[in-house]
Amino acid sequence: MRNYLALVPKYLAAHKKRTDLAIISVALSVALVTAIFSMLDVFLRFEKIQVIHDYGNYHLLIKDASAQEMQAIASRIDVEEAGRWIELGQASINGVRCAVGALDENLADNLNIKVIAGKYPAAKNEIMLEQWAVESHRLNVKINDTVRISSPGHVGREFKVSGIYNDLANMKAKAVPGVLMSLDGAAAIKPGAELSYIVLFKRGVKILNAEKEIKDTLKIADERIQRNERLLAVIGQSKHKAAVEIYTTGAILFLIVLIAGVMMIYNTFNISVMERVRQFGLLRCIGASRSQIRKLVEREGLAITLRAIPIGVIAGVIVTFILSAILKFYNSSLFASMPLFVISVSGIGAGIATGFLTVSIASFLPARKAAMVSPINAVTGSGDIKISRSKKRGLLTKVFRVEIAMGINNAVMKKKTLFLMSCSIAISIILFLGFQVFVDFMHAGMKTTKPYTPDISLTSEQGISEGLYKRLSDIDGVKKAYGRRFAYVEAAFDAARLTEAYKKQVGNIEVKDNGIFVPPENSWLISYDRNQLNWAKRDLIDGTLDEDKLNARNGIIAVMTNVRKGVTINTVNLQLGDKVYIKTPAGTRELTVMGRLRSVPFRDSKPNLSTFIITEKLFTELAGESPYQIIDIQLKKRNQEQTVKEIKGMLDSSITLHDARQKNAELDQAFLTMAVFVYGFVAVIALISILNIINTMNTSVASKTRYLGVMRAVGMSGAQMDKMVLAEAATYSLTGCLAGCVLGVMLQRALIADLLSSFRIVWRFPLAQIILIWILTLLVTALSVISPLKRIKAKGISEVIGSL
Amino acid sequence: MEILRVESLSKTYGEGETRVVALRDVSFSISKGEFVLVVGPSGSGKTTLLNLIGALDTPTFGRVFIDGRDIFTMKEEELSVFRRRNIGFVFQAYNLVPELNVEENIVLPLLLDYKKPDRQYIDELLDLLGLSDRKHHLPNQLSGGQQQRVAIGRALASRPAIILADEPTGNLDSKNSREIVNLMKLSVEKYKQTLIMITHNPNFAALADRIFNVEDGIVTELGGKGK
Ligand SMILES: Nc1ncnc2c1ncn2[C@@H]1O[C@H](COP(=O)(O)OP(=O)(O)OP(=O)(O)O)[C@@H](O)[C@H]1O
Ligand SMILES: [Mg+2]
Repeated sequence: MRNYLALVPKYLAAHKKRTDLAIISVALSVALVTAIFSMLDVFLRFEKIQVIHDYGNYHLLIKDASAQEMQAIASRIDVEEAGRWIELGQASINGVRCAVGALDENLADNLNIKVIAGKYPAAKNEIMLEQWAVESHRLNVKINDTVRISSPGHVGREFKVSGIYNDLANMKAKAVPGVLMSLDGAAAIKPGAELSYIVLFKRGVKILNAEKEIKDTLKIADERIQRNERLLAVIGQSKHKAAVEIYTTGAILFLIVLIAGVMMIYNTFNISVMERVRQFGLLRCIGASRSQIRKLVEREGLAITLRAIPIGVIAGVIVTFILSAILKFYNSSLFASMPLFVISVSGIGAGIATGFLTVSIASFLPARKAAMVSPINAVTGSGDIKISRSKKRGLLTKVFRVEIAMGINNAVMKKKTLFLMSCSIAISIILFLGFQVFVDFMHAGMKTTKPYTPDISLTSEQGISEGLYKRLSDIDGVKKAYGRRFAYVEAAFDAARLTEAYKKQVGNIEVKDNGIFVPPENSWLISYDRNQLNWAKRDLIDGTLDEDKLNARNGIIAVMTNVRKGVTINTVNLQLGDKVYIKTPAGTRELTVMGRLRSVPFRDSKPNLSTFIITEKLFTELAGESPYQIIDIQLKKRNQEQTVKEIKGMLDSSITLHDARQKNAELDQAFLTMAVFVYGFVAVIALISILNIINTMNTSVASKTRYLGVMRAVGMSGAQMDKMVLAEAATYSLTGCLAGCVLGVMLQRALIADLLSSFRIVWRFPLAQIILIWILTLLVTALSVISPLKRIKAKGISEVIGSL
Repeated sequence: MEILRVESLSKTYGEGETRVVALRDVSFSISKGEFVLVVGPSGSGKTTLLNLIGALDTPTFGRVFIDGRDIFTMKEEELSVFRRRNIGFVFQAYNLVPELNVEENIVLPLLLDYKKPDRQYIDELLDLLGLSDRKHHLPNQLSGGQQQRVAIGRALASRPAIILADEPTGNLDSKNSREIVNLMKLSVEKYKQTLIMITHNPNFAALADRIFNVEDGIVTELGGKGK
C-alpha cells in the first residue's frame, strides 16, 4: 500500500458482497430513471408519428382566409408548408351520398392523402376518389370515367375521375366516399365557399407565439383559428387545458421517479452507514485528516458509480429498445421512419445525473457524520442507537414469540433505517399507483375494439330481410352476423325518474294524476339477440340480461346515458322494478325495468327521450314483424377480401355497406402505441421495484451477518433466525406497503379527480391493484431474504462472528 | 462423571500458502464440575479449540462428545437447542446484541428457549455482576469491563452444563478479574457446572482443577490444584 487511497480498492474487494449490492442498487436506480425518461422521449416520438397519421401534419388552420392573409402567411420564414382547403360538405356522386372537398396538392401528404393510381386533380373538371369507393357495389367507376356530382341546391355537374387515393378509415366505416377536387373545381361548383388555410411551421418554431404574431399583424379573430391540438400536445407546445393537465401529471410522476431513484440508492447506502462511520472514525483515530477521508469517500463513490452506471444505462436503453421493437413489429409501415435503436440523450442524461448525484450525497453522509462526532464516539458507535424507553418493549414478547418480537424490534429500533426502508418500498408503490392514472386515462380517452365491434355493418332505410340475414350468416367467412331492429316508440314512466338536465332541455312536461308524464319525445327501442345481450354484460350496472327471464317477465333494459346533440347526458334515472308504459298499435304495454346499462355502443342522430333494449321476441310483440335496420357482421380472420366480395354480391343498391375494418385497426393501432408505453412504464416500475426490494433486503441481511452469528452462538436455531429476519423484513414491507398504498391512492385520486378533470375519468378505489401490491410485496420480501439467510447458515458460526 | 470428551480433534484453516494448522490431534476428557484453565501463547489455537467444543465451527477431523452425545452428528435444529441449553459462551470480543439492553442481553438464551426467566435468579445475577443499576443501558453505553460482565451474565443465565469462556477477564483490572472468576467459580460449584476458561493471567492457576497448555495446536496438560 503506497498511498492511503489504495484503501479504496482494498475495502471494496474485501467487502465484495456489500460492494456488489451497492452497485446493483445504483444500477437499478439508474436503470429506472434512464428507462422511464428514455421511454417518455421515445414515446413522444412514436406518438407524434401516430398523431400525424391520425390527425394530420399541420399546426394551424385559419378559417375563411383572404388572399392577402394567405399571401402574408405563406411568405413568413417560419412556415414550412401552407395550403388551401375547402370543405364542400355532403353531395352525391352518381346518386350515392359522398363528402366533397378540395385541397392544394402540396398539402396532400400532410393530410395523409396518397395518390394510388392516376393523378391528383388539377383541372376544373377532375376529381379523385377513395379506393374503396371505386370498388364499392353501389359506385362502380374507373379512372377516366365520367361521374355526376350534385349538391343540394345546385345543379349537377360532370367530372372526370383523374385519380384514386388511399382509403380513409372513417369515411370507409361511414360508407360515405370522400371526393377530392381541385381548388378551381370547388370554386366552380360553389363560388364563395369557405376556404381554410392550413399551416405547418418549421421545426423548433414556438407555434403559439407565431400564431399570436399572425393574429396580431393580420387582425384575425380567435374563432377563425383552429389548432391541431393533439400534434401541439405531443411536441409540448399546447396550452390547451387537457394538454396542460397531462403535462402537469407527467411532471409530477416523473419527479417522483427521480425521487424514487434517489431513495433507492440512499436507502441501501444508509444500511451500512453505521459501519462506515465506525470505519472512518477509526481512520480519524489513527490520524487521517478530514480531507483525506473526503478523498477516500469520493474515490469509493466514483469506483461504485463507474461500475454501476453503464449497467443501469444499458438496462434502461434495452427496455426502451424492446418497446420500440414491439411497436415497429406491429406497424412497420407507420413507424418506418423510427429507428429501431433509439438513444435518448435526455433519458440517459437523467439516469447518469441521478446516479452520480445520489451516490455522492449518500456516501458523503457517513463521512460527514464521522467527521462531526469525535473519532472515538464514531469507533464505539455511541449514538448509533437512540435509547428508547425500552421498558415497554416486553409487551412485544407477550404478543409474539421471542424471535418475532426481536425481528420487529430490530426494525423499529433504528428509526432512520425503518423510515428509509419503508420509503423506498412506499415510493415504488406510489409510482405504480400513480402511473396507473395513465392506464385509466388511456382507457377513458381512447376507443378500442370490443368483442362486439363489427367488421362490416349493413344498413338500409327500407330494412333488410330475414332471408338475406340467413344467407349472410351462412357465408363461410362470416364468423357472426347479428341483426338489430329498432323503432321509435312513445314510452312513459314516473315523471320523478326524469333528470333535471333533461327537463331543462325540453322545457315543460305534462304530468298526469298518476304521476306518469306525457312523453314529449320518442324513445329509441332496440332489439338485442342473445349474443348482444351477452356482450352488453360489461356495461351492466345492475339487474339481469338473461333473455329467458326478460321474455318471461316482460322485462326491459334501460340505458342510463343518452347522446343528445353530440353530448352525452343522463336523461332518465330509472331504477330496477320501475314500470315503463310503451304505446303499441295494440294498446299500451306495461314493461318492467329488469336491467340497467351504462351505455350502448351506437348512437342515434335523432334526439330521444331515452334508449331501451328489449329482446327480439318482445320487440316483435311491441312493434310487429319488421325487417332488420342493421346487420353487423364479424368476419373470420382468413380470406376476408373474398368474403367481403361475396357479401357485396348479395346486396342491392338500397343497402349500404360500412367497412369498419380499417377504422378498427387504426383505433387499435393508436391504442397500442399508447398502451405499449403506458404498460411499459408500469411494468418497468414494478420490475425495478421488485428488484430493489430484493436488493435492499439482501443488503439488510448481509449487514447483519455478525449479529446473526452471535444469535446463533447464543443458541438461536436456524428456524428461529429465519423467523426473526423475516419479521424484520416484513416490518419494513408492511410499513412501506401501508404508507405507499395510502399515499399512492391519495395521489391517484388527486391526479384523476383534481388534475385530470377535463378527461372525466371516473376514479374508483383500486382494490385489485392494492391486493396485488400486498401479495407481491410480501412474497418478494419473503423470497428475498431466503438466499442471504442460506448463505449465512452455510458458513460456520465462528467464521460469521469473526467477519467484522 | 465425564461430561466432555474430545477425540483426536484437528483443525486446519486455509489452503496452500495460507494453510494454518490450528489444532493437531487433540484428545482429552473432562469430568462434570471441573474448572479447566486453558493457557498458551497468542495464536496457539486456544480460541479454535473452544469454538470446536461449542460447535461454533466444524473440525477438519475428530469428534467431540458432550454428555455422551457426538455434537457434530446432530442436526442443525437439534444442535441449536442443545447449545442454548447446555453451553454458555463468553467471547473474547463480548459480542453483545447492540439493540438489546443489559437485562435483555442476559436473558436472551432463555427467551430463545421460550422460557420465562427466573426473576429472582436474574436479579441475583445482575447484583453479583454489579450491573443492577445498568440493566436498562445498551451495550454501547457501557465500559469494556461492564460489557464483559454482561457477556458472562448471558453465559450463566440458562445455567448451562458447560461454560466456555474466552479470556473473560481480558479487559478487567486485577481486582475485578478476581471477582469475576470467583463469581464464575461460585456459579459452577452451586449448579454443578463445568467451566473451561482461556486466560493469560497466571494468577488463576491456583483456582483451577486442571490446566491445559496449548502450543502450536498441541494440547498438553500441565496439571493443576487437583493433581
Ligand atoms: N478463520 C481463520 N482462517 C485462517 N486462519 C485462522 C482462522 N482463525 C484462526 N486462524 C489461525 O489459527 C491459529 C489459531 O488461532 P486462535 O484464534 O485459535 O489463537 P488463540 O490461541 O486463540 O490466540 P489469542 O490468544 O491471540 O486469542 C492462528 O495462527 C490463527 O492465525
Ligand atoms: Mg483467542
